[in-house]
Amino acid sequence: MAFKIASSPHVSRNLHTATVMQRVILCLLPGLVVQCVFFGWGTLIQVMLAIAVALGSEAAVMKLRRRNPAAALGDNSAMLTAVLLGVAIPPLAPWWLIVIGTVFAIVIVKQLYGGLGHNLFNPAMAAYVLLLISYPVQMTSWVAPSTVAQQAPDLLASLQAIFGSLASSELKLYSLGIDGVSMATPLDTLKTDLALGLTSSESLSKPIFDGSTGVGWFWVNLAYLAGGLVLLKLKAIRWQISTGILVALFVCASVGWMLGPDNHASPLLHLFSGATMLAAFFIATDPVTAATSNRGRFLFGALIGMLVYFIRTFGGYPDAFAFAVLLANLCAPFIDYYVRPRTYGHRAGS
Amino acid sequence: MLTLLDQLDQGTLWRSPGGIHPPQEKSLSNTTAIARLALAQQYLVPVPQVGESCTLSVKVGDRVLKGTPLTQGTSLQHLPVHAPTSGTVIAIEPRPSNHASALPVNTCVIAADGQDSWCPLQPSDPAELSQQQILDKVRSAGIAGLGGAAFPSHIKLNPVSEIELVIINGVECEPYITSDDRLMREHSDDILAGIAIIHKLVQPQRIVIAIEDNKPEAAEAMTQAIGRSQLPVGSTRVTVIPTKYPSGGEKQLIQIITGKEVPAGAIPAQLGVLVHNVGTAYAIQAAVLQGQPLVERVVTVTGQSIGRPGNYWVPIGTPVTHLLEASGSTAFAGQKIIVGGPMMGHALPQTQVPVLKGTNCILAPGAAELATEVEEKACIRCGECAQACPAQLLPQQLFWHAKAEEYDKAAGFNLKDCIECGCCSYVCPSDIPLVEYYRVAKSALRQAAEDKLQAERAKQRFEARLQRLEEEKLAREAKAKEAAERRKASMSPKDKDAVAAAMARIQAKKAATETAAVSPDAQATEAAGGNKSAAVAAAVARAKAKKAQQAQTDSPAAVRTEVQTEVQTEVQPAAADDKQAKIAAAVARAKAKKAQQAQADSPAAVQTEVQAEVQTRVQTEVQPAAADDKQAKIAAAVARAKAKKAQQAQADNPAAVQIEAPTEVQTRVQTEVQPAAADDKQARIAAAVARAKAKKAQQAQTDNPAAMRTEVQNEVQTEVQPAAADDKQARIAAAVAKAKAKKAASAAKQDKE
Repeated sequence: MAFKIASSPHVSRNLHTATVMQRVILCLLPGLVVQCVFFGWGTLIQVMLAIAVALGSEAAVMKLRRRNPAAALGDNSAMLTAVLLGVAIPPLAPWWLIVIGTVFAIVIVKQLYGGLGHNLFNPAMAAYVLLLISYPVQMTSWVAPSTVAQQAPDLLASLQAIFGSLASSELKLYSLGIDGVSMATPLDTLKTDLALGLTSSESLSKPIFDGSTGVGWFWVNLAYLAGGLVLLKLKAIRWQISTGILVALFVCASVGWMLGPDNHASPLLHLFSGATMLAAFFIATDPVTAATSNRGRFLFGALIGMLVYFIRTFGGYPDAFAFAVLLANLCAPFIDYYVRPRTYGHRAGS
Repeated sequence: MLTLLDQLDQGTLWRSPGGIHPPQEKSLSNTTAIARLALAQQYLVPVPQVGESCTLSVKVGDRVLKGTPLTQGTSLQHLPVHAPTSGTVIAIEPRPSNHASALPVNTCVIAADGQDSWCPLQPSDPAELSQQQILDKVRSAGIAGLGGAAFPSHIKLNPVSEIELVIINGVECEPYITSDDRLMREHSDDILAGIAIIHKLVQPQRIVIAIEDNKPEAAEAMTQAIGRSQLPVGSTRVTVIPTKYPSGGEKQLIQIITGKEVPAGAIPAQLGVLVHNVGTAYAIQAAVLQGQPLVERVVTVTGQSIGRPGNYWVPIGTPVTHLLEASGSTAFAGQKIIVGGPMMGHALPQTQVPVLKGTNCILAPGAAELATEVEEKACIRCGECAQACPAQLLPQQLFWHAKAEEYDKAAGFNLKDCIECGCCSYVCPSDIPLVEYYRVAKSALRQAAEDKLQAERAKQRFEARLQRLEEEKLAREAKAKEAAERRKASMSPKDKDAVAAAMARIQAKKAATETAAVSPDAQATEAAGGNKSAAVAAAVARAKAKKAQQAQTDSPAAVRTEVQTEVQTEVQPAAADDKQAKIAAAVARAKAKKAQQAQADSPAAVQTEVQAEVQTRVQTEVQPAAADDKQAKIAAAVARAKAKKAQQAQADNPAAVQIEAPTEVQTRVQTEVQPAAADDKQARIAAAVARAKAKKAQQAQTDNPAAMRTEVQNEVQTEVQPAAADDKQARIAAAVAKAKAKKAASAAKQDKE
């Protein structure tokens, strides 16, 4: 009787890539829901559109590479990229924006580098940066939060806005606040105000802020934080990168705020504005493009946190996670080379 | 600050990094007592089981009793193997081994007689035995580590350094195996007796029995047994450690119990720690107290394909097939049969292989029990492998390098510290068989190291041989010299003369034949009295010399050319009083020049140089006789100019020195010939001929990248000519030469382009 030969171990944990990706997507849902609550159906439509485009382009590329498309689609990584890009771009951005971004993310950033596991840059963030640089107007036109907006877009209006059948004058309505002033994101508002010579407390008294953080954005970030904590609990991600980002951002923001509370944003505003929690738990933790050792990951996260603070405070862009993540991606191989754990039985440094 | 002993007494535990918690399947086999199976018909005992260099002490047809040694050996590493039951040796031949490869190994096949009768045993009391006697007993009982590694125990029990702590390993972290668990529950007192013997042998300050917290019954049994044992109070304790794979690994267990790490490449004894398996302690007890050699062990037979899973006393050498049949296996072809646990065990291609001393488990899983075969997917760098690695390696980096066959880089990531526990493969979400990659990489590195070692040895052998040959040669020469001197001393003066005469004759004969072969031109020159005939003869000689040289250019033996030219030049001084002789000399030199040219292409440039020197010496000898003051001065000036040029050329091109040397000589020949012959028509003709040849030579050299030389030559020629300018014809000749030189130059230019 002949038996089967295989190398040990003969058991394996039943936790596969597809499951991990699926869990990450599920943990994104609370944040997505809160975003829809504050900014209308647009985000959901963008996410759906992105998923469709992502799966289509992934399958097409796999076909071209003569690989099995089902295997690639089955790992849920393309879907995760699509969801991340979908929640990152303005809810009422025209449809072609997300299409261009998603195709770029999947085809150029991911598949041309060799597919899953081989890409150097975070696909969603590389696509976001491409769109931000190429279409700055569309990429910075955020909808005013529904609680303080003059007019909130319903499902039909969102669809019309995205697919281009809405007059631009009507579209503009959705970005107006109660006071009829166009509403940028809280970080953008603060940056503009500080540049205009206002103090941060004066800026924070505007309707887009509720006194300390941005209206809506605080809850969005809180929802992503909750989702992230679930991910940590499930061990789909490890704590080092997220902690590194949040600690570095908090420390930098605290120092800046203590030195000049009038012309700096508070640590609270930094932590609960823009893409902070989304990036800290869902974007920067993409293992493919991050450092791999524990210490290396903490450094990787801390680098992102610092870069975010400096770009937000001194750079030309109100939010900075996409740039910071890409820059840290570049440093990941370097970090991995120099930051290695001490092997059992070896002295430090050997 | 607590000392290590205090912390050991308190049961302090340290953290071991990494590790996994695979599903526990111990209850499948640990609920029933250790049983015995019916005897097999045949037992397969591989002979050099552990250790090397031994001889068989039985032969085919011998009747053996249970415990009869089958081998004997003298080396320290040698461990005897014993007949596991009584019966007859029916074959000693290669049989498949208990290994994933099933490669055949020499095996002693014993047909059981069914009586299972022991050979005479010698029970003893350890209190009456010396340490060496106990060690001898342990060794002759063939006791090897029963945890799986099967290292000879008598070596471990005789450490060179002092042992502070002995850890008795009852961790058994593999998720299916329960043989140590059952042994501790049922034979705790015997194990303690074994521990007492270990205590007597190595005199440690503490003994810690480490047991995972998933075996509370075993821990309880052992704790109670300590109270009943004769061990010094407070020296021995049971420490229960948290269940985590691979806590039972020697290095990991030491880290958990002491917080220390075994340095890379070292053994635990260097930390003053010794680790023994509980099964080994039991076997030591049986060997010393009852005199029983190691012929059976507890084996867990488990898995969903086994009808009666449990633990069994199994004679070493029992075929796995028998074990499966006797325990009601329903194993089917194409499934896995695993020796050891699911984490580190190896799969068997066939089951007609024996149970060995290190075989603690036979696992026959059901169809859906273990991981199904899945395709390896892309690594997403999630780093879970690094989280799980108990050795704190970066398995993912190791994997990249191993897959790319960059084994040296993998070694740079401490590949050799991998203990192959399988945690990384277990957690990998992409189902990458990481451990398999590491095994391949490790064996490639081992192979490379082996090859390097062999190459080094071969080099040493070769060098030794060369040295030996050289020494032998020198010795031979010295001997020959000595013998010759002895002969000389014993010879009479008359004999000496005779020998000398004979030698002279031989030399003369040689010289004659050589001259006959090469010197027709010289002879002709000498014989010809008149100018005309001399010129004709010279032309003939030139033609012949040319032919000869052509032939020689193909042959590397440039030595002959040398001989020839020497002969020629030797002939000349004799004729030097005559003008014709000068012509002949010029001709000869020109020929020599040609020969040099041909040789310039050959790598043996050294020879050419030598030759050229010879030639010039001859010339300079000839010249003073022929040259008056003026001409001599001109020649000197020319020589200086040449020397200068040559230096310049050399400064630019140090590599050209060798090739340049002959050319210089050549030009000197030409220029020197000219003034000397300038008053004579024929001499002028000869000069023209020489120049023409020089031109040819230059043309040939233009192919050569060292074009500088040609330049030198050209200039020299033109410089020489004014010396001959008092004569019309000489001027014409000079003009002709210039024109030729020009042509040559342009040809050279074209060639270059």
